[in-house]
Amino acid sequence: VDGQRDPVAPPARGGDGWTVITLLLAGVTVYGGLGWLLDRWLGTELFLPVGLLAGVAGAIYMVYKRF
Amino acid sequence: VGFLLAAAEESEGFVPPSAEDFVYPPYPGMPDSILFTKPVVQLFFSVIIIAGFFLYVTRRLQLVPGRAQFFAEGMYTFVRNGLGRDIIGSKDFQPFVPLLFSLFTFILVNNLFGIIPLIQFPTMSRVAFPYVLAAIVYIVFNYVGIKRHGFGGYMRMMTMPPNVPAWIYPILTPIEFASNFIFRPITLSLRLFANMFAGHLLLLVFILGGEYLLLHTPFPTNLVSIPAFLLAIVFTFFEALVEVLQAYIFTLLAALYIGGSLAEEH
Repeated sequence: VDGQRDPVAPPARGGDGWTVITLLLAGVTVYGGLGWLLDRWLGTELFLPVGLLAGVAGAIYMVYKRF
Repeated sequence: VGFLLAAAEESEGFVPPSAEDFVYPPYPGMPDSILFTKPVVQLFFSVIIIAGFFLYVTRRLQLVPGRAQFFAEGMYTFVRNGLGRDIIGSKDFQPFVPLLFSLFTFILVNNLFGIIPLIQFPTMSRVAFPYVLAAIVYIVFNYVGIKRHGFGGYMRMMTMPPNVPAWIYPILTPIEFASNFIFRPITLSLRLFANMFAGHLLLLVFILGGEYLLLHTPFPTNLVSIPAFLLAIVFTFFEALVEVLQAYIFTLLAALYIGGSLAEEH
């Protein structure tokens, strides 16, 4: 059944573009959610957008580091 | 779909297809439970088809493969080498080939039910089925990861991305944690579900819309049903592509997650 390809191919590690989606989603929800909670607690409207941007920035930084 | 057409005729207006078209009542005479609806029957039917086909082929293997054996071997080789060995890695992939192969064939057949005449309903457009499949993958990749690296080592690997300065870990670890443990299973199941749901809805729109235009509108207008039906045919072929692709992507991601759990720590 084996083909002619390299029999000791290394396992793929984080090389999938799909990780980008989960990372971005995670960044937005974790820090956006944190900002939303802070806003509810303090009665402000500042931390939700800040958290969203921080989450996106963090996620993009991780994508950059990974690839 | 039949009751929808009847409803459309009665109310003299077009009733657009909606999420309610995906809810099937139990078969007549069956207990009022979700266990005897069309999607569940399709599920069992798919298992019978797959098991039957591969048992039939493997019972009568020949050195020079016939058409069925060629097809079965090609599919197995594709999953074993293309998804198992190349992604999980040649050292560890063999225990996972049965899982990957079952996932791929199971999802593929259940997706293709969406365009097979007389069945014409993709089983995976009911979200519970993708949820359970994603849960299986979730349990497997976490289990093998913890078994390989120990709980602490596995958590470190899954929550602390490499090659970043130490002060940034408190910021990035929550993202990595949520990404790997919360959004992986969600996106895995919802990607399959949403593709099947949207695709089936699209076909319903063109076919039911075409039917309404043809039978319930006066002469010049009912000619518009011709492009509607043509587009229905085009989108049926498009759905065939999406259905195969989604079965592949689900299995590919399952292999990637398992491979990631087994990879060396850095």
